[in-house]
Amino acid sequence: MVESDFTPLEPQSGPQPEALVYLNGRGEFVHGNEVFAALTGHLPTALPGQSLLDLVDPAEAEAMLPVLRRGLSGETLTCHVRLRTAAGQHVRFALTMFPLHPTADAGTGVILRPAGASAAAAVLEREKQLSIIFETIADVIFVLKVEEPGQYRFQFVNHAFTRITGLSPELVVGRLVTEVIPEPSLSLVLEHYQQVAQTGQPVRWVETSDYPSGRVVGEVSVKPVFDARGQCSQLVGVVHDLTEQQQAEHALRDSNERFRYALKATTDALYDWDVAADTLFWGEGFEELFGYHIAQNPTPFRQWSAHVHPEDAPRTVDDLRHTAFYTTRTRWQQEYRFQRADGSWATVFDRGYLLRDAAGRATRMIGAMQDISERKEAERRQQQLAQELFQHNADLQQFTYVVSHNLRAPLANATGFAGLLSRLQPGSAEFGQAIEHLHTSLRRVDEVLRDLNTILSVRGQALLAEPEPVVLADVLGEVTDLLVEDLANCGGEIRNELPAGLRVLGRRAYFHSIFYNLLANAIKYRAPQRTLRVTISAEPPAEGVVTLHVVDNGAGFDAGRAGTDAFQLYQRFNQAVPGRGIGLFLVKAHTESMGGRVTVVSQVGQGTTFTLQFRLPAA
Amino acid sequence: MTIYLIDDDSLGNYLTEALLRLENFASQIRTYESAEDALEELLQAPVPPRVIFLDLNMPVMSGWDFLEALAPYRPRLLGQCHIYILTSSLALSDMEKARTYDLVSGLIHKPIDREEIRAIQAELTTEDHS
Repeated sequence: MVESDFTPLEPQSGPQPEALVYLNGRGEFVHGNEVFAALTGHLPTALPGQSLLDLVDPAEAEAMLPVLRRGLSGETLTCHVRLRTAAGQHVRFALTMFPLHPTADAGTGVILRPAGASAAAAVLEREKQLSIIFETIADVIFVLKVEEPGQYRFQFVNHAFTRITGLSPELVVGRLVTEVIPEPSLSLVLEHYQQVAQTGQPVRWVETSDYPSGRVVGEVSVKPVFDARGQCSQLVGVVHDLTEQQQAEHALRDSNERFRYALKATTDALYDWDVAADTLFWGEGFEELFGYHIAQNPTPFRQWSAHVHPEDAPRTVDDLRHTAFYTTRTRWQQEYRFQRADGSWATVFDRGYLLRDAAGRATRMIGAMQDISERKEAERRQQQLAQELFQHNADLQQFTYVVSHNLRAPLANATGFAGLLSRLQPGSAEFGQAIEHLHTSLRRVDEVLRDLNTILSVRGQALLAEPEPVVLADVLGEVTDLLVEDLANCGGEIRNELPAGLRVLGRRAYFHSIFYNLLANAIKYRAPQRTLRVTISAEPPAEGVVTLHVVDNGAGFDAGRAGTDAFQLYQRFNQAVPGRGIGLFLVKAHTESMGGRVTVVSQVGQGTTFTLQFRLPAA
Repeated sequence: MTIYLIDDDSLGNYLTEALLRLENFASQIRTYESAEDALEELLQAPVPPRVIFLDLNMPVMSGWDFLEALAPYRPRLLGQCHIYILTSSLALSDMEKARTYDLVSGLIHKPIDREEIRAIQAELTTEDHS
């Protein structure tokens, strides 16, 4: 009667409900379904505690018990045996036994069919498959017996339960939920079980539990099983393990968050160029850096290309398109000028990465525009500073040369006259003359030293004072008043054509010195044959700079003479009129100490034009 | 013997002349405060001066300008006219530059002293006897 061999499956018309019971390791009933109840009359609730062996017809007991024990110890088999129904009759059934777990400790599943049922072998095969599904399914399946409100006992757990929780079936099956599940999860699950038992409705939740195998996050769904009286007698739970999924989600969320903060931390304008659509998606930085308001993001490509400086566009816009469409390169970078919303230009360093499809076509480019205007400006200032220092150094060398020469000339004379005195007759006319010349020479030495002091004080003070707005027409008026006597003597005229409100950044005393020296020179070197006329005028300011012209009709000088600089210290162009050659030097020193520039154009017999440029105060 | 003193500084000229006279350097000493005036006279004179004491740092026409202006007349002047640069400058560059003119016989730092005057006199005498 024993058919432990495999029998091929017979064609079936479809799934039919089967009588099914689960036995624990001792062969006692832990669960029986409704079909079983209908077939045998035994209510599932009445069975627990009883053994399958107790139901075997005593007449067959001796022959059948060893077979059933084999089934209970883990063998899969089918046998025919007479079992006692609830009505007390002995009815023959075909029993298919299979282990619920490979170790058999978890218990045994039994399918019952009335004896003679043709599909016993097919049932065996199906149950085998079911068992495999049960045991190989990744989700945890467990069955709880509802003993009384709030008391649930594990009746069955599958292999996945062991794998995920790390709890072996013997530690779980037959025990109360309260003995297995630790707090704080316990309170939560008890609440849920209670809800299912009371409402008769399935409940679903996500729970995190700490098991010997580690922390497990699972989506739990619990369904009630009702007995013949409609009472919720069992709960079937399925746990879908979400641990990995949730870890991945957490990792993604963390990563996204880091990216979002990175975006906030960077002041760069990040962009994402969709090549096919030719649109740019901008990060926050773009609006912040350049002042544009982006009503709709992404923007057309021209939001960028139209604001690249026209001079830089060929090596920027054209080069980017060329790189994207006609090369296989993935990296692109360029430095260029980019127009801000207010019209000013920012110097930008742009670096992007091109994504290409399998065919090498550019699909996207991710990149960042960095505003390096400040850095560029600092570089420019540094260069300018180096240039100025170089110029100053050259000036100082020249200065030293000129001063030493001009100091030495009168000193040499003084030495000479002192030597001469020793060889002349005291009291003679020559002796008296030599003494007088000695004095003159020493006075010259003193003069040069005074000049030196004046010059050094100009250079020193330039570093100290903050520039202030100076009304030029007023200063010129004061200087003209000082020179009124000299003008009257020569019949000359000074025309002040400076706009009354014109203010220039600088120092009042310096402008005074500049005008005084220029006008005193104009009077000193006037052309004797015509009436002197000096005109001081200003060009309309442009780009924060004002240009002044001081034009005279005087004798003029050969400004183009090789190797000469009209503004050099002790440089003189005129032999007929005495002069020290310090005036124009001071004009230049004062002008440059206020950040201005001075140039001169002169023609002998025609006159001289000085052009001065100064910064205007910020509006 | 005629010599020229060219220096925009009248005191310098006065001093040099006085020192030269004390040494009986020349029978005729002509002083110019403008190199242009000296050049004009020199070019008109039938015989060039035997010696010229030339200052370098002068307005309008400097000593260097004067030497450049003489370049066309070099053959006529060479050996006839000795030019001594008499300057208060101590710059080495001026000494280097002076060497490039063969019309220039020497460079003297102001003030000229007795030894320097006598050395020039000795050179001129040697030349006269050779």
